[in-house]
Amino acid sequence: MQQLLNGIFIGSIYALFAIGFTLVFGILDRLNLAHPAVFAASAFVGIELVERGGLSLWAALPIVFVFGAVLGLLIERLAFRPLKGRADAHFAGLISSIALAGMVIALLQWRYGPDTRRFPAGSFPDTRYEVAGAQVTLVQVVILGVSLALMVGLTYMVTRTRLGRGMRAVAENPDAARVLGVNVDRITAVTFAISSALGAVAGVLFAINVNTAQLGMGSAIELKGLAVIIVGGMGSLPGALIGGLALGLAEVFAVQYIGSSWRDVIAFGLLFLILLLRPQGLLGARKVREV
Amino acid sequence: MLLEYATTLTFIALGAIFAYSFYAVLIAGQLSLGQAGFASLAAFSAASLAPSGDDVGDVPALLIAVVLGMAVGALASVVLGLPTMHLRGVFLAIATLGFAEAVRIVLLNQEWTGGAQGLAVPRILTVGMAWTALAVVAYWFWRMGRSRYGRALEAIREDELAARSMGIDVGRHRLAAFVTSGAVAGLYGVLYAYYVRLIAPGDFDFVAAVEGLVTAVLGGSTMFLGPLLGSGFQTMIPEIQRAVGVEAGWIRPFLASLLLLVVILFLPGGLASLIPRRTRMPQSDGGDGDRGAHLAARRHPAAGETVATLAGLGKEYGGVHAVRDIDLEIRAGEVVGLIGPNGAGKTTLVNMISGLVPPSSGSATVLGASIGRTPVHKLAGAGVSRTFQHSKLFNRLSALENVLVGGHLVSRPTFLRRLLWLPSSRRDERAALEHAARCLNRVGLGDLAGNRASSLSYGDQRRLEIARALASEPSLLILDEPAAGMNHVEAAKLSALITSLAADGLTILFIEHNVGMVLETCTRVVVLNFGEVIASGTPEEIAADPAVIEAYLGTEDHEPVTGSIAEGTLDDPTGGAAQNAPAGAVTNVGPSAAGTLEPPDTTSRDAT
Repeated sequence: MQQLLNGIFIGSIYALFAIGFTLVFGILDRLNLAHPAVFAASAFVGIELVERGGLSLWAALPIVFVFGAVLGLLIERLAFRPLKGRADAHFAGLISSIALAGMVIALLQWRYGPDTRRFPAGSFPDTRYEVAGAQVTLVQVVILGVSLALMVGLTYMVTRTRLGRGMRAVAENPDAARVLGVNVDRITAVTFAISSALGAVAGVLFAINVNTAQLGMGSAIELKGLAVIIVGGMGSLPGALIGGLALGLAEVFAVQYIGSSWRDVIAFGLLFLILLLRPQGLLGARKVREV
Repeated sequence: MLLEYATTLTFIALGAIFAYSFYAVLIAGQLSLGQAGFASLAAFSAASLAPSGDDVGDVPALLIAVVLGMAVGALASVVLGLPTMHLRGVFLAIATLGFAEAVRIVLLNQEWTGGAQGLAVPRILTVGMAWTALAVVAYWFWRMGRSRYGRALEAIREDELAARSMGIDVGRHRLAAFVTSGAVAGLYGVLYAYYVRLIAPGDFDFVAAVEGLVTAVLGGSTMFLGPLLGSGFQTMIPEIQRAVGVEAGWIRPFLASLLLLVVILFLPGGLASLIPRRTRMPQSDGGDGDRGAHLAARRHPAAGETVATLAGLGKEYGGVHAVRDIDLEIRAGEVVGLIGPNGAGKTTLVNMISGLVPPSSGSATVLGASIGRTPVHKLAGAGVSRTFQHSKLFNRLSALENVLVGGHLVSRPTFLRRLLWLPSSRRDERAALEHAARCLNRVGLGDLAGNRASSLSYGDQRRLEIARALASEPSLLILDEPAAGMNHVEAAKLSALITSLAADGLTILFIEHNVGMVLETCTRVVVLNFGEVIASGTPEEIAADPAVIEAYLGTEDHEPVTGSIAEGTLDDPTGGAAQNAPAGAVTNVGPSAAGTLEPPDTTSRDAT
């Protein structure tokens, strides 16, 4: 039971991270490899807000959300918009976002140094609950709550609001959307902002969960994020949620029953199997190519 | 002097070789990140299996290791490639990445690899050997570039479906590119192992794979020198920074990333795009005597023989019958026009005939091949060639290269002979070039041979598609709205071209909305409406057919359709006042100006 809950907590963070990833891919057909850098940067910024700014953990979250959104706008403006209309935009976008990620990580190293950082002692409330014989901390409950709330909010926004309708229109066909009066550039920028804001919150939550932030934490979760969005289905928001939770649970149980050194094989084995059997992912829709 | 830089130079060579393993698939439009896994497998198996340098001598030991490693890399890529070749784009990248990570973790947990401690390997590789290996790899890709095989890979990158229709076996070519990539990655793994003295599975992780991809894309993935330039850039930047005295730990990665960003944003096509790409045209003077001597000649069916037989052919999309129950026979030498209102099922029908869409009912035989069971490229091999309603050109290739790809089926493979500089490959290449130039000239695009396909005007792109289709010497040529976007002068020229092709023995099936042109050009016209044949016969019969008039104009009360067609077109194209207008000069003229019977779809809806 304890393992199950741990799996759900870590899985909800994976899901939150992956949803940001998959949002950009689903709507704009671009893989933003600077997403992990946002994840890492926001963890460091979150720690600094608590340490220097004296904010409580929870007050830091909205600030980090905004910070992530701004970073997302920058990523779109610097790494993706200049590539618009280029024949190799797909490959070039991967590289430019990798380059931007490298710059962000270098800046983090400048600001915070290469060492692991932690939240100052005493910033965690030590309220604990007992659920069906398992220990759950308030922090974990909040992590789950925030992740779920953000994902529900995002789903509502995409399916119900005017902005979300614009996003779906752009996802279907950017040219047609433009002709029909959708401001495609604005939708693109907003999508990046939202995606990065979610990635940023995921970063802080992750840092809170394990109480560390490292420069390499982004690349560690990057592969998992990719696995999650493939397993769930590229561009599918509920798919990313389910994929994230599944990965979190699979990892926790793999560590318990097979051994920690084989943990990641599970993730990639699953990924590989899905790609072979159901390339569109669990919940993805197969795109039909037209002649 | 050189010794001082030996380490740097060796790493440039190694980085370039690794980048070539990415280049090998990028050139075919595949994004794979599995190369680190191939390199890892190759490095560890070669290092443990190859004899020690003390027994057989250093260089033989390295050579044996290289052969072993390349074989392991190639084998691994076949094993990974067979199940994943149907994946595209990012999906392939992530699947192969998953494979590489799985390899890393498995190797990390093995005894014989030394696990995380790594495996000690003697240092045998020298800077000279590294550059020799690099030269061999670069030579391979240089010679591949302008071979038939290399062009086919580029065609697949630009438009897979069109490549299939030109008779290219896409699956085999993609797998071949993938295996090449695996072998080159294996080579890298072994060379790396025999240089750094100690290898650990962590040396071949995600970061390494990304580094290789970055190097390849940075250098440019459409030109064989790209990986070398990319590796030089990636390796030299830190060196230069150190020499200049940039110290702080974060500035170096920051500047390197910044430079990478600048290059990728401002140099589309990578560093290699700084090197001008020569456009080659065949010398028109040379050797008219042995024209096409080296091209495979196709025997067209004799006039009157059956080319295609359709029996009860139908296609259903989720309950909607796009085409139903078509019986049709096309005989050699015929020019069959397929007309009908929008949505009548014309394109679906030709998609089935050309093998792109499997029928849901009925059967058809085209040039001896059975539709629905024959892959597109086999059907193209049987002699079917087509153009598309929406141009599907190979956009980043020149017009001439587009047509060269069209000649894939009739030209001979030249890559292996080009590696050996055999004169016969040169002759074959020249024959293919001359053939392509002839096809271009035939549609009037000879002057634009060196232009990128994407830079051509709409009408010229339509013509280029026809030239590309012609280059395969088809027995059955299918044209899907070839005159769309052409003015009446151009349409008249096209009509003359079609007539002359028919005189050469080709059978032609074409869809066109320009009814006047169809009636003028065709020997037989088939009219489709709501997925069914409503009339079939000579142009005269069709023009007088009440069912056709009704389909087009809604009721029979209207003025007879024959009059308006004759008025709109039969006069226009033949009145050759503007006949000498330069090709493509007037391309923005709407189709209605070309005498098209414009609003058929509204009338057909009224008719229901």
